Amino acid sequence: MTPECEQVLDLVGEPLPAPLAAHAAACGDCRALREGFGALEAPPSSAPPALESARRLALAELAASPRPTPWWHELALLLAVDAAVVAAGLLALGRKGLVLNAAPAPVVLTLALLLLLVVGGGALLALAPLRRPRPWGALGLGVAGLAVAQVLCGSGLSHRPLLSGTLRCLGLEVGMSVAPLAVAMVLLRRAAFTPGRALAAGLSAAGAGLLVLHLHCPTGTVAHVLWGHVAPWLALAGLAVLVRSRMGSRSYAP
Amino acid sequence: MARFCQGEAAAFDALFLRYSRPVHGYLTRVTGSAAVADDLAQLTFLSLVRARGRFQAGSRVKPWLYAIATNAARDHQRRGRRPEELTSEGELPSTIPADLPAPRDAGLERTVQRALAQLPEGQRLPILMHRFEGMGFAEIAEVLGLTESAVKVRAHRGYARLRELLAGLRDEVAP
Repeated sequence: MTPECEQVLDLVGEPLPAPLAAHAAACGDCRALREGFGALEAPPSSAPPALESARRLALAELAASPRPTPWWHELALLLAVDAAVVAAGLLALGRKGLVLNAAPAPVVLTLALLLLLVVGGGALLALAPLRRPRPWGALGLGVAGLAVAQVLCGSGLSHRPLLSGTLRCLGLEVGMSVAPLAVAMVLLRRAAFTPGRALAAGLSAAGAGLLVLHLHCPTGTVAHVLWGHVAPWLALAGLAVLVRSRMGSRSYAP
Repeated sequence: MARFCQGEAAAFDALFLRYSRPVHGYLTRVTGSAAVADDLAQLTFLSLVRARGRFQAGSRVKPWLYAIATNAARDHQRRGRRPEELTSEGELPSTIPADLPAPRDAGLERTVQRALAQLPEGQRLPILMHRFEGMGFAEIAEVLGLTESAVKVRAHRGYARLRELLAGLRDEVAP
């Protein structure tokens, strides 16, 4: 490809200055490119009947719901469900005390705040109508770091046999995640499917249950936290992506 | 757009009048089928109505509408419906819908469609929007949720690849 060919490439669809026009006329490849694009530009068609049908349907939809729902209502709803799950979970499980995690208090508090950030930030990333490139890489790194910190910063204490304790926490986390995940899936149908959005919604929704376990569970061994707390959280987020990918969308808005 | 967001039918009609044909044409080029484009155009404008609460005041309508149309086409292809629209060789169909006027050169059009169909979506969509919808790279970046420089790189690579493909296909069909 000559430098002239590069310039012709940059000006596809636009008038060429005289020297380039001469090159394009002489160069077979450049001519093929420009003629090819010219051939696709058929004159505009008359309106297909389907467009009139689309117009009628859209107008009927508009008449049925003249007031739009702002997107942040959906965000507020998901966060309210997450908050309700955390409050109900801590109250239901916390008869012997709301916070039983025996790790140093600053560690417990820092990890709890980071989890809250994931719950809130994940919901925002999942539901906000941003069109700019989203910080998916930062989210992935943050979640990976938080998962490792959760596993490694436990108290190391064990109060139950590994299997029964892990299964109990796993069941509790899944149970507490059902409602937030269901609400998140319904809300996600109001925008186009993207794996990143679904993953963020899943991490946020399942994060509520993880937060309750983080504060309440007195067992802090690596194996227990890994298989009873963190692995179910990540698995539920993955499940959210799978389920959302198989659901239809009510709207394809970004 | 603000009046449409408040539910005014006349404002929707104005938007529809302005954008329905270009969007339909875009969807036809993306999917290679006028019939599929009919369905997707309907979904696009239904989405426009249903999701107008997600429109950010002050942003441009055209990139938002094309983003909806692109998402609808992607969803259609993701759900495995695209193979029905392709030829046995996995290419975009070369037939022209009956309601369209005859092209200037059907053979050449077929050649370009074959070449376009061979491009990855990431290169094909910026080219379709840049070349046929008259959109700037900043607008395309808005539609695709990418940075402007990323769109420029993809479009340039796509044009370069298309040039090679067109040269190759032309040699194939030349007597």
